[in-house]
Amino acid sequence: MNETKDIAIEVVGLSKSYGPVRALRSVDIAIGRNEYFVLLGPSGGGKTTLLRMIGGFTKPTAGRILLHGVDVAHLPPDKRPTCMVFQSYALFPHMTVAGNVGYGLKLKGMSKAEIQVRLDAVLEMVGLNGYQARMPWELSGGQQQRVQLARALVLEPEILLLDEPLAALDEQLRKDMCIWLKHLQERVGITFIHVTHNQEEAMSVADRIALIADGELVECGDARQVYRTPARRFTASFMGESNLLDGTVAEVSGDGTVTVDVGIARVAVPSADATAGIQAAVSVRSEAMRLIPRDQAQGADEQALDAIYQEEIYLGLMTRQIMALPNGQTISVRSVSDDDEAPAFQAGDAVRVVWKTAAGRLHLS
Amino acid sequence: MQDDYANIWGIRLQWAYLLAVVFVLMVPVFYNLYISFNEFGFGAARYEFTLDWYGVIFTDRLLTGAMGWTLALALVTVVFVVPMGLLTAKLFKQAGRRLKLTVVAVMLLPLFVPADIFASALLVFFKQLNRIFQTVAEMTGIGAFETWFELGFMTAVIGLIIYTIPYVFIVILITMGRYRAEQTEAARSCGATAWRAFWDVEFPQIRAGVFSSCAFTVILAFNEYVRTSTLKGGFDTFTSVLVSQMLNIGMSEQSYAMGGLISAVAITVIGSIIVFTLVRTDRLQRIERAKAQPVGAD
Ligand SMILES: Nc1ncnc2c1ncn2[C@@H]1O[C@H](COP(=O)(O)OP(=O)(O)OP(=O)(O)O)[C@@H](O)[C@H]1O
Ligand SMILES: [Mg+2]
Repeated sequence: MNETKDIAIEVVGLSKSYGPVRALRSVDIAIGRNEYFVLLGPSGGGKTTLLRMIGGFTKPTAGRILLHGVDVAHLPPDKRPTCMVFQSYALFPHMTVAGNVGYGLKLKGMSKAEIQVRLDAVLEMVGLNGYQARMPWELSGGQQQRVQLARALVLEPEILLLDEPLAALDEQLRKDMCIWLKHLQERVGITFIHVTHNQEEAMSVADRIALIADGELVECGDARQVYRTPARRFTASFMGESNLLDGTVAEVSGDGTVTVDVGIARVAVPSADATAGIQAAVSVRSEAMRLIPRDQAQGADEQALDAIYQEEIYLGLMTRQIMALPNGQTISVRSVSDDDEAPAFQAGDAVRVVWKTAAGRLHLS
Repeated sequence: MQDDYANIWGIRLQWAYLLAVVFVLMVPVFYNLYISFNEFGFGAARYEFTLDWYGVIFTDRLLTGAMGWTLALALVTVVFVVPMGLLTAKLFKQAGRRLKLTVVAVMLLPLFVPADIFASALLVFFKQLNRIFQTVAEMTGIGAFETWFELGFMTAVIGLIIYTIPYVFIVILITMGRYRAEQTEAARSCGATAWRAFWDVEFPQIRAGVFSSCAFTVILAFNEYVRTSTLKGGFDTFTSVLVSQMLNIGMSEQSYAMGGLISAVAITVIGSIIVFTLVRTDRLQRIERAKAQPVGAD
């Protein structure tokens, strides 16, 4: 991460409206030098808008953007220390791979020989040696994206902006490219801002993740933290697969737990500060839950809810079991598939859903 | 079952139809050529082959002068109208929905105005403008702009620009339709100024449309009679000479020869552009494939 604690990008109160549509509402973010930063969120959340404003392709309605401490509001894209990799269609179709990658160097007035040296080096780096003479339409989707990356990297920008760079790729290639991108960033040591709506992609590359939804910065933190200990209810619903129980805080006890009345029962969750009577939600990741028969008691450090067993869905590595709570809400529990065993429950069985008290999270917003 | 491609007679029929249409369209041209080779000209009872008329084309002062004016009109119109059309098409692409509607309406309106109304409206307009300019010149004593809007070359060019700009706009806009704006942004991102991005990345991809619209404008300028003859003032263009000859004394033999010459040149030029383009595309594809071949790892 950012050992130096330098700030590469600082965004202050950044807003963008398209007529009545508020695409981004007063977002503040600070991104460290050499950090791999991911903007994650549902479609239409405002990620692209934010990235394009940093790159200089969209004019902010309000707010400031500082790149290495310099306000860049008045600078066009070609004068900013950024370079952008687009989702697709952005290779110059009338130029070869060499023409595409060398374009920026040519603009800098570099000699042919020097361009060739850098071209060879960068194509080696992205694994496209020997493809110099090809036209863009003679490349696969993954190769095209790597050419785009090479075109950006060869200019040695201080900040690389990637807008859904892997969205056009198939699942396997996307996974490979994720790891490759992460290693690449470690090697070149520049700041990456990577936009995606794919949670797994975000988790596998990010130092830090910012969750953006509905034009707002919902939560920002390192990848593990955002996944394991989400602060906001939205984060819990978006990251991984969590069960959410809405209710009100019933009681605040001194031992660091809070009791929440979720309508059908009361459950305890660890929390430092909450006031009785306020609205709250409890989230528990589905892999942190397990099922027991109704007549069996939970452990002392566990919470439990009565439920009716509905069905089991085999997902390969994992199996998902679906239950209905008395109020009709469904709960899903995931566990590593055990192929030998016959299903323990039948549809309609009375069961209990159990989780360690410490696995629950309280969300006040 | 037989597929469409295997039905050889179907394909032959299609080609026969196509050739028949082209032939019918070209009949007047061929007829003109036929007459231009007759010693005795149009409507004579005898036909004797000769190339003499072609020999004397350039001795006909009236015809060569008109030809020169027509060419000059066409070229000056191209120089102004193509950049204007290109600029408007670019503006159109960037505009919001309401501005788009306005631009399209304004640009395409000249297409819907009948030629004679168009011409007379402009004529009246220029006459008024001319009067104003002359009055101002008299009052101020500055003569520089006194004759700007007297009917002449400039008014004819303005008429032609207004007439041809919708075509140029449409042709360029269509070729721009396939262009992705991300490419311009990518170029900007690589450090290109707006102009460099346009010139290096966008222009090569819309070049075909720009060149076609140049050719189209020249053809339209050659064709145009009503607007040009109303606005041109003193000089003669090729079309106006032909028309007045036809109406008054009958076309001269040299005119047939000139007509034949122009058709021949036009057909040759356009034919070779098509052949050249086909051959070039084919060759480029072969070269690219050959270049791509030796790469081992995939
Ligand atoms: N040019 C535009 N004109 C009007 N509204 C726009 C424009 N661009 C984006 N928006 C709106 O702004 C909001 C945010 O869009 P944005 O493209 O930033 O979302 P995103 O997070 O990148 O979504 P996705 O994951 O689908 O790419 C959306 O509601 C979108 O409709
Ligand atoms: Mg987007």
